[in-house]
Amino acid sequence: MEKIRLGLIGLGYIGKIHLKHCQKLKNAKLIAASDLSKKALKIATDAGVKQTFTDYEQLLRNSDVDAVIIALPTHLHTRCAKQAAEAKKHIFLEKPIARNITEAKEIISAARKNNIKLMMGYPLRFNPAFCKVKKRIDDGTLGEIEIANAAYISTGPFMHRAEAHTPLPVPEWWFNKELTGGGVLIDLGSHVINLLRWYFGEIANIKGHFGYRFNLDFEDSATCIAKFGNGTLAVINVGWFSQGYHLKIELHGSVRSFSANHSPSNPISTVIQTLTRGYSKFYEGHLAELQYFVNCLIKDQPPSPSGEDGLKDLEVIEQAYKNQIRLG
Amino acid sequence: MSLVSFVKVTYKHHDQLKQAIADSLNLIHYHFSSKLENIVIKPNMCYYWDYSTGQTTDPKFVAALIDVLREQISPDINISIVESDASAMKCKYAFKMLGYEELAQNYNVKLVNLSEDKHNTVEARASGQSFRFMIPQTIQNADLKISIPKIKYTMEKIKITCTLKNIFGCNPYPQKFKYHSKLGETIVAINKVMKFDLHIIDGIIVSGIQPRRLGLVMASTDPVAIDTAAAKIAGLNPKTIKYLQLAKKEGLGNTAFIPKGKPLEHFKPQYPKKNLQTKLMSKAYSIAVQTGLSKKLGLE
Repeated sequence: MEKIRLGLIGLGYIGKIHLKHCQKLKNAKLIAASDLSKKALKIATDAGVKQTFTDYEQLLRNSDVDAVIIALPTHLHTRCAKQAAEAKKHIFLEKPIARNITEAKEIISAARKNNIKLMMGYPLRFNPAFCKVKKRIDDGTLGEIEIANAAYISTGPFMHRAEAHTPLPVPEWWFNKELTGGGVLIDLGSHVINLLRWYFGEIANIKGHFGYRFNLDFEDSATCIAKFGNGTLAVINVGWFSQGYHLKIELHGSVRSFSANHSPSNPISTVIQTLTRGYSKFYEGHLAELQYFVNCLIKDQPPSPSGEDGLKDLEVIEQAYKNQIRLG
Repeated sequence: MSLVSFVKVTYKHHDQLKQAIADSLNLIHYHFSSKLENIVIKPNMCYYWDYSTGQTTDPKFVAALIDVLREQISPDINISIVESDASAMKCKYAFKMLGYEELAQNYNVKLVNLSEDKHNTVEARASGQSFRFMIPQTIQNADLKISIPKIKYTMEKIKITCTLKNIFGCNPYPQKFKYHSKLGETIVAINKVMKFDLHIIDGIIVSGIQPRRLGLVMASTDPVAIDTAAAKIAGLNPKTIKYLQLAKKEGLGNTAFIPKGKPLEHFKPQYPKKNLQTKLMSKAYSIAVQTGLSKKLGLE
């Protein structure tokens, strides 16, 4: 392949970030986009996307499209990913892979059957700060990691959304557990679990304590304690309850401790980054993961994190939901 | 001149809150009529940010007020807690997430989403401009209307929001963002057709450049006077807040007031005020939003 022709399905919050990053990709071009919102499609058209559709099936029928980025709400992943696989499109799929294990297996099976590449969107795996952590673990300079603390706390979906200076309500599907598959553990927790699995291998056992500050029928905070097969013990804290943003990994090894975090730049730096690079440094992991996906397609290499990785993350999450710690 | 009371409450245990609210009312010589039947309480619910952020009225404060009302009027009084949908907030979620659904169950009060209420349309004028508003039936039928606002800085030109802006939140039309180019005038106009009888500020946690526990309860029957006092506590010069001056001009109240209770100066130094840097940032952000630059630069 010389240049990968991409289609973007879903232009919500994360879809618009991918739209921006697609303009920066090497050896790839975004040629089509789909979304139910005509307003969102106008943004894609303004960004130079030639073909736009309100029905993603039309996009999938376009033989010019080599691969698709699926950035839809979780409950739509299975149907869309299966259709994309059947249309022989390679897939970059936003996390979590699906609402449950059954759906995740269907997606993986469709990808295998149709011999297409399936990559999960986990940008922390491409974030320079967290890549440095991986390097430190692998080169042995920290010794054996006994304890890991991971915290990912933010507003989650309850951010103040604005489009063309008009605040928008949180999309309804976020309030429906049947459509999301769970609360903060499946949303932010999947990022952290995937990252820690990359660092330490498979999780042997996990238990979780869940908080419901906002009185909804899904958790808005979770504290999990996980034992990895290699002996590392990890405490994972995730929450949707804060107006702030905090993402930090802290490792305590037999030689030394090490930590890494990811936080938004101040507004002035963001302006400078946007003017000089065309994107905010905050999202550099998102850009790097897309470029890696494109490179895998060009080199015909299997991408990682794979669909199977997404499934394993979901299995761990389901185990944590089942093994609840009750502290009263 | 109108009376405005200032009461310090150190902790926020239920009985202490009740006492602070009762004290704030005594200081302004406010007495409830025994003939009251339907009371409306309008807290300030802001998006899905709970009371700890200083953006939303604490349901525990409202619970304490409900007890004061039942003790001083009648245990059988009908109380409705009202709010309306906003551009980015839906009452069906806000009531639950901000603790009001639980409060309504525990205290046997009604929760009313004014955006789903029956209404009449009325015309109101402010600053020579004409506005049309829907007045919800629950508001019309109330024989006592109490506003429980927060004191908050805002990025908007109006600089600060308190009870007059909280009452603007009774407008059932959800897309309130459309009013923002004439926000000051709209706030004044709606207050002319939806007059509230009593204003009690939940200043336990206030929202300046960050939240801070201030432990303040204020009360007044005059919305302009209490908002003027709130602006002073927040370190702003009320004369520079155009909508307060307009509200006075349009006859909604006085900017002059007689303070009662703890001196205003006791609270003013503790308010998390803007410094020069935050003032400049706020100005720059406001220009960026107005010109559309903020989106292009990735600030939104």
